[in-house]
Amino acid sequence: MNDWEIWVTIAVLAVATAATRSSFWLVGHHITIPPRIQAMLRFAPACALAAIIAPDLLLGPQGQLQLALSNAKLLAGVAAIVFYLIRRNMLQTIVFGMLAFTGLRLLHVF
Amino acid sequence: MMPDATVGADRHDPQAWREGLKTGMPTLFGIGAWGLVVGIAMVKTGLTVPQALAMTLIVFAGSAQLASLPLIAAGAPIWVVFATALVVNLRFVIFSALLAPHFAHLPWKQRFGLGYVSGDMTVALFLQRYPSEAPEAGKLSYLLGLMVPNWAAWQIGSIAGIFLGSAVPPEWGLGFAGTLAIICIAVPLVAGRAALCGVLVAGATAVLAAGLPYKLGLLAAVVLGMVCAMVVAELGEKSAKP
Repeated sequence: MNDWEIWVTIAVLAVATAATRSSFWLVGHHITIPPRIQAMLRFAPACALAAIIAPDLLLGPQGQLQLALSNAKLLAGVAAIVFYLIRRNMLQTIVFGMLAFTGLRLLHVF
Repeated sequence: MMPDATVGADRHDPQAWREGLKTGMPTLFGIGAWGLVVGIAMVKTGLTVPQALAMTLIVFAGSAQLASLPLIAAGAPIWVVFATALVVNLRFVIFSALLAPHFAHLPWKQRFGLGYVSGDMTVALFLQRYPSEAPEAGKLSYLLGLMVPNWAAWQIGSIAGIFLGSAVPPEWGLGFAGTLAIICIAVPLVAGRAALCGVLVAGATAVLAAGLPYKLGLLAAVVLGMVCAMVVAELGEKSAKP
């Protein structure tokens, strides 16, 4: 892409953000969502977050499934989930997870 | 709704603002680290510094930015980049349907602005605190207390990434801090069998469908996960009835 094409792309991406994030904020009062759909939408945030986490933990750089113990992100991620369930503290979990990830990566434990 | 009541509910409430900040504070490190990774990726793709700054400041959507970069590098048509960003962002349409009714009474410019900066973590944390759409004092301040620091942390991380660029070795895996922050937000949302089922299905779908074009896997994961959670919830209700 040349320079102006990249600028147009950036503008178009901003439109994509506005069109999706602000959609119901701007037109929502004209639309009534059936209660059943509303009940279903309540699960959306948890599902979206899971869909962001899972590929990062399970897939390698080329998109291949990595279930071996050598996958430091998967091990550290599972350890972080357990740590959070016990301690219920976000910052401690993030620090613990990064230390576990870095330790596993540098020490080649598995 | 009485207009007076609405004005009262939206008056700046420092306590609610601080409460929002306190809730979101632990995620800021992860968000900044993610911003850093995206900032580095933008510069490595060949964007100039002004372009990368413009992208982070006006697009403000990490997953869509990351998805667009390989397409920009490959010289894909602009409409393909647009289509990809839309699909990656479609989950935000659902988020806006969840969040907007809480603030339907505000002027449209404010609604537009609030929608524009409401990312994944902000929505999840806000809905956990205020599950009901009924107007409540301090709601807006709480949302802003989550949103403003979130925006700032992302931009600081991203701008640092743009300027420091290659000084941070990629094998440090700093982006993992963002994933860890999301884990901490996601775990408390998994309350009950229905949500657990939805999350497992969404995660598995996202992994299996990672190769789909336009990043359709993410959207498919959210939709399938929601449907499965709903089915489990309804089956549970039926069996609970005598």
